[in-house]
Amino acid sequence: MILTQKHLSRRGLLRGVGTAVALPMLDAMFPALSSAAKTAKRVAPNRMVYVYVPNGIDMRNWRPDTVGSAFNLPKILSPLAPVRENVIVFSGLKDHNGEALGDGPGDHARAAASFLTGVHPRKTAGSDISVGISVDQVAAQKIGSATRLASLELGCEDGHLAGNCDSGYACAYVNSISWRTPTVPNPPEVNPRAVFERLFGSDEDAADPSARARNAKLDQSILDLVSDDTKRLQRDLGPTDRRKLDEYLTAVREVERQVQVGEKQAAENNVAVPNMPKPDGIPLEFAEHAQLMFNLMAIALQSDITRISTFMLAREGSNRSYREIGVPEGHHGLSHHRNDPALMDKVAAINHHHMEQFALFLQKLKATPDGDGSLLDHTMIVYGSGISDGNKHNHDDLPVLFAGGSRVFKTGRHVKLSESIPVANLYLSMLDAMGVPTEKLGDSQGRLNYLTDLT
Amino acid sequence: MPEPKRLLSIPDLHNLKRFLRATPALVLLALPLVAAQNAPPDAFAQTVAPFVQKNCALCHSEQTKSGGLVLTKYHDTASLIHDRDVWEKVVIRVRAGEMPPKGMPRPAPAQLAEVTNWIDAQFAELDRTTKPDPGHLTAHRLNRVEYNNTIRDLLAVKFKPAADFPADDSGYGFDNIGDALSVSPVLMEKYLAAAKKIATEAIPLSLITPKPTRLRYSPEHLAKEPRPELDHSFDLPSEGDYDLRASVNGRQDSFRVQLLLDGKEIKTDDVLIEKDKPRGYELRLHLPPGEHSFEAILTHRDPTPEEAATAAKMKADDEAGMAKQIAKHPEDEKQIRLQHALGETPTYMDSLEIKGPFNASPVPLPESYKRIFLCGHPIGQHNKECVRSNLAQLASLAYRRPATSAEVSKLTKLVSLGEKDGLNFEQSMRLGVEAVLVSPQFLYRLEHDPKADPGAVHPIGDYELASRLSYFLWSSMPDPQLLQLAAEKRLTDSAVLHAQVRRMLLDPKAAALIDNFAGQWLELRNLDSIHPDPVQFPEFDNQLRQAMYTETRMFFASVVEEDRSILDFIDAKYTFVNERLAKFYGIPGVEGNQFRRVEVDGSERSGVLTQASVLAITSYPTRTSPVLRGKWIMENVLNTPPPPPPPGVGSLDEKGGPLSGTMRQQMERHRANPVCAGCHVRMDPLGFALENYDAVGHWRTEDASQPIDSTGVLPSGKKFSGSAELKAILAANRNAFAECLTEKMMIYALGRGLEVYDRAATRKIVANLASHDYRFSTLIEGIIESAPFQLGRADEGNKTE
Repeated sequence: MILTQKHLSRRGLLRGVGTAVALPMLDAMFPALSSAAKTAKRVAPNRMVYVYVPNGIDMRNWRPDTVGSAFNLPKILSPLAPVRENVIVFSGLKDHNGEALGDGPGDHARAAASFLTGVHPRKTAGSDISVGISVDQVAAQKIGSATRLASLELGCEDGHLAGNCDSGYACAYVNSISWRTPTVPNPPEVNPRAVFERLFGSDEDAADPSARARNAKLDQSILDLVSDDTKRLQRDLGPTDRRKLDEYLTAVREVERQVQVGEKQAAENNVAVPNMPKPDGIPLEFAEHAQLMFNLMAIALQSDITRISTFMLAREGSNRSYREIGVPEGHHGLSHHRNDPALMDKVAAINHHHMEQFALFLQKLKATPDGDGSLLDHTMIVYGSGISDGNKHNHDDLPVLFAGGSRVFKTGRHVKLSESIPVANLYLSMLDAMGVPTEKLGDSQGRLNYLTDLT
Repeated sequence: MPEPKRLLSIPDLHNLKRFLRATPALVLLALPLVAAQNAPPDAFAQTVAPFVQKNCALCHSEQTKSGGLVLTKYHDTASLIHDRDVWEKVVIRVRAGEMPPKGMPRPAPAQLAEVTNWIDAQFAELDRTTKPDPGHLTAHRLNRVEYNNTIRDLLAVKFKPAADFPADDSGYGFDNIGDALSVSPVLMEKYLAAAKKIATEAIPLSLITPKPTRLRYSPEHLAKEPRPELDHSFDLPSEGDYDLRASVNGRQDSFRVQLLLDGKEIKTDDVLIEKDKPRGYELRLHLPPGEHSFEAILTHRDPTPEEAATAAKMKADDEAGMAKQIAKHPEDEKQIRLQHALGETPTYMDSLEIKGPFNASPVPLPESYKRIFLCGHPIGQHNKECVRSNLAQLASLAYRRPATSAEVSKLTKLVSLGEKDGLNFEQSMRLGVEAVLVSPQFLYRLEHDPKADPGAVHPIGDYELASRLSYFLWSSMPDPQLLQLAAEKRLTDSAVLHAQVRRMLLDPKAAALIDNFAGQWLELRNLDSIHPDPVQFPEFDNQLRQAMYTETRMFFASVVEEDRSILDFIDAKYTFVNERLAKFYGIPGVEGNQFRRVEVDGSERSGVLTQASVLAITSYPTRTSPVLRGKWIMENVLNTPPPPPPPGVGSLDEKGGPLSGTMRQQMERHRANPVCAGCHVRMDPLGFALENYDAVGHWRTEDASQPIDSTGVLPSGKKFSGSAELKAILAANRNAFAECLTEKMMIYALGRGLEVYDRAATRKIVANLASHDYRFSTLIEGIIESAPFQLGRADEGNKTE
């Protein structure tokens, strides 16, 4: 890789490794030497990623039989074979606030809402939704300003349209796992083209740095104007309306910050330009869609457009069918298998299909150089569900695995916890690694002890 | 101390006490006589309490608490009024005969009527005497549909920027609820990006000459489907030469192709069988810019003797070729035969294509440009005065009320900032447009309370009324006529308002009411995301899906446009079909793609409940669901949504493992289990009535090789057999349906959930409907004239939820 002053653009490299789906070739270059003097010495930052799958998992085919580093990979985990040494499978994590706790049915809504927050969501189908701040946003609030996008929320299934999504819980609860505040969710983006445009801008924003800088300045002026207008308006409005407009102002401020970061990057000639074609839209098949989104996430992490991301492979409660792998029935319907092995096998097939996509992502990250190691070394990833068995709807013995982050944690083993521990404990440890030490998140009870152990 | 009456003499005073102690009954008898002349609490004790004691107390006491309901704890009218929703539900169920439940002794009809009417009267009196509370409408962000429509009406923009916005959160079943709509940073980014795109398209720097591109229309085609015609509307960017082409696929055949542009025939070809010639028919025309309809029609004709001979020879050659291939690759025989079978597909129109423009003229000035530059100067010939006046006009329209001088000054300052930074005039003006489009005054519907006390009720201003009206009926901004009336302060005049409502309902923009209200009330939007199993339902494809949607949409539109009774939604004996849908329903004699009205006899189809769209969205990919269908009816027709299932229950087995037989037989389990029966005894029978319709809405008489049993018994004891009889029962319950539709329409019209204080308005509208044949326009006008729609309550900070 030759770094010269002339190379003023910075692109992300990702090589597809043995994939069944044809993926675009992506090159990367490190930043030009002028700022490379800093960046070469700069230690690659840690990244944090959460990948969510709905409706629980067929635990018969997930739980390894052996513990420690000699653990086996049952059927659903078998695609992880090439990255075995980078993975920790946990047994014994729980999401207590996914339980009813007196609120009756609604496990799907509670599972998704509490998975990254550790908080029991308020049961309502109206507009007074309330849960907690999710771990990714706790980190984003502290370190998000270092990158142009504070965080990136992705998904493969659009939100449900009607008002009541799970037994009296609002749809907002099943559509998002990331919560900016206890009342404002960050819904995932499902269209790869839209994600691409968020990362790299639309065609107008050409490669001309001076044009970019000038546009950024003018955007600032527009945002200043509307901020002023809003504050003036608020003086004449009552408290409820003022609060509504506060939301608007917060959003404007965040966009202003992004514009400023973009401006700074343009001035430093440090702008990410991709070498992949812009996606047309949403692919028809799940595998292609998932791979495209994983690709985009990888580029975003590698180019430091963001360091925090969440990805819902499907909405919680999803009833999507996967005909391409021989499962024409809806996922949610199947997950209520009533212990019929034939149905459980179909659920396992779906779980396996999801895991295949994830495994490809891990391999990609492993093959991507990042600072003094690989992107996988520097990215902490959690993959799991807020529901364990989809038929029982239990929220203990959660299917959760941790991948990457080998710079901070010891991977390549099955850790079986002796007692049921809140999954939020794992998140506190991850927040430490992100440089955002936090004493409590939802129902956490301290950090997770087993991450750096040698056994 | 009153003089004792003749019954007692004074010397007997000390005996009086003994007398009183000895005869408490006398005293007790005296009290009600006194009190009945004063306060209601005793009337409660006289009417409701004894009724409850006799008919309800056994199950609904503090100890037994059936269904969580305790009725014995109410002792006076005040407590009854305090728990109004509970008692309103009690009245509904008692009147419907659902309570007391089957098996328990029934109260005498006269007594039942007396009690329920008395309770009704209490609430009616309450409504009459309480000052109307219109609620407070929170700052209301435009949702995606409203944003697209508003941009279209403001600037004649052709694309739909909000397609990229994150999905709107909904509340109470609708996505236009002010409290539920929030602005996240991602959405703000998109607003800014959309504003830039709109400004750039609206204000081109010069009029470009477009390069030739290819526009193609080629809908999905099912193997055996005959498709003799295709038509599509193409939007051509500029004047120039265009190549129009229609292509045909399928078996080699003799036919005639006609091409039509904008309804006029432009070319006819008689086609002989030509094996290797291209199967496209094209010509080049010089066309003006704008929308053009391009149509191709294929008609078969008898072959001439030469054509017949050629056909026979071609067929023989094909067979010989196939035999040779099979001989070479016997293991692929199945594939080879399949491929040849494809060639046997009946000839059909495959696609329409327009390429161009060639020798193009520059694009015309976009309509949006003319809307912004009202000064009328062409590109490059504006002067400085244009900036202020154009921005003032644009802002006033965008903010839906006159822009203030200060607001306009800020915008003009922004534009000069751009020019100082080296942008040209047009580029600078774009900044002004962008600022307007991301302003909170554009993105939110804000209502200003007069500087009155918080909580005070006041009529809303004319401009605010105009916005409420237009977003209700058009999901878009007020048009110039409405804004003019608002400026003249005439919109609140009753006669003017009536006339405007009538005008608005007839305007094509009222299609938004149909798409957005019907789409959500009937849950039609879910039609896009169902995926019936293609093995069980091979006939289901996107064209059928589209046809199903169109049917229901046109049906709803007919009720609106013809001002029909709302009860027609339940059992009107007509609908709209095209050939595809008619074949699906088994309705004979319908040919062609056009939708047209057909009468139906009501035995299989009538109203919306048995339209394929509704039946398909209330099913699973591989089977029907009486529960989903029953729930749909309870939520959207009866307005009695069932509570969620109790914890710990799963759903029925997919394949029917330990459960066997028809879907209905499997569901008997619901009724066998007392935990489930309470709700399912109401929900399931409704769904059973619809078991004759499979998971995509097709009529069937058997399920799992057994005849369908579509009989049911409602909790009131009423029996029915099949969908027609169920609909008759639903339609007979006119006021219940009227109340259901009124409430849902009010939520949609106001953009907030309904509270107890809205009950008075709802009652009034339902009463009005009853005396006007339940006409649709009566519903709309009733809502618009209601207190919640015409008044506002000043924001006092306590959230209504």
